[in-house]
Amino acid sequence: MEKSVMVVGIDESEHSFYALHWTLQHFFSPSPEYSPFKLVIVHSKPSAAMAVGIIGPGSADVIPYVESDLKKMASRVLEKAKEICTAKLVHDVKLEVVEGDPRNVLCETVERHHASVLVVGSHGYGAIKRAVLGSVSDYCAHHAHCSVMIVKKPKAKN
Amino acid sequence: MDAARHPPETSGGGASAEGAEPAAEPEKLNVLVGIDESDGSFYALRWALDHLFTNLATASGAEPPPNQLHSSLITLVNVQPLFQPFIYPAGPSIYIKAETLILQGDPKEKICEAAEQLPADLVVVGSRGLGTIKRALLGSVSNYCAHHIHCPVLIVKPPTKLGHE
Repeated sequence: MEKSVMVVGIDESEHSFYALHWTLQHFFSPSPEYSPFKLVIVHSKPSAAMAVGIIGPGSADVIPYVESDLKKMASRVLEKAKEICTAKLVHDVKLEVVEGDPRNVLCETVERHHASVLVVGSHGYGAIKRAVLGSVSDYCAHHAHCSVMIVKKPKAKN
Repeated sequence: MDAARHPPETSGGGASAEGAEPAAEPEKLNVLVGIDESDGSFYALRWALDHLFTNLATASGAEPPPNQLHSSLITLVNVQPLFQPFIYPAGPSIYIKAETLILQGDPKEKICEAAEQLPADLVVVGSRGLGTIKRALLGSVSNYCAHHIHCPVLIVKPPTKLGHE
């Protein structure tokens, strides 16, 4: 039976690793071979230009350093994702790093793989932060062409 | 679908009311209106309110009835078909129990409450695919749930014509 594709978007935050872990636990355990989904994990890496922003003259010199830092960070993220998968005995997984704005990267990855589900974590920003910083999960929930699952890390119970 | 009961007979033998003394109490009318979510049934409700009760207003001179017993009653009935039959297409080796909750109130708040109380591990909602403006004005259950429920939320979208080229 042809498996449908599930894309999980991750960044460096604890929230998205939680989302990945939760997804593996509920959709790929205990036996990943019987899961109805093929797993694709995508990390959107900001480009050095995006990260540096408008600093002023001389910023061009900084870019190579920023770029190598970003590359290191991206590979750390992927490594950690790979570790989480291996711990859950999920070996058949595609890991990708795509440069760009997370909103576009996730939607474009969904299109490329003809995914049927996109999973994102949620930073749990309040309404104001969300309006100012923008919300990747909001954007994807409305613009991705597939079903979207938003997995939140539960707040610590008082 | 609607059903309006005929007004109760005030005199045996069905004599015409012309020239007869008006009844000591204003005639009351108990009406049942069946409502589903269609525009047709809301139109029927409006029609019933506009046409069925005006004679009572003139007869009593627009005075409110002396006590509750004499006022008309309109009962709105909304019947939910059972959803259980939709569940069993899940395959033969899948064992799941099914429960139906029918709740009154604001859909987005009630779904969130129910998710907290069950408690649910995952909430699944459909999406009507409203555009940005409609969504802001009309509100969106899936939007509200995505932000207010503490457990994971899955928003399932209907297949679009754009599909996969």
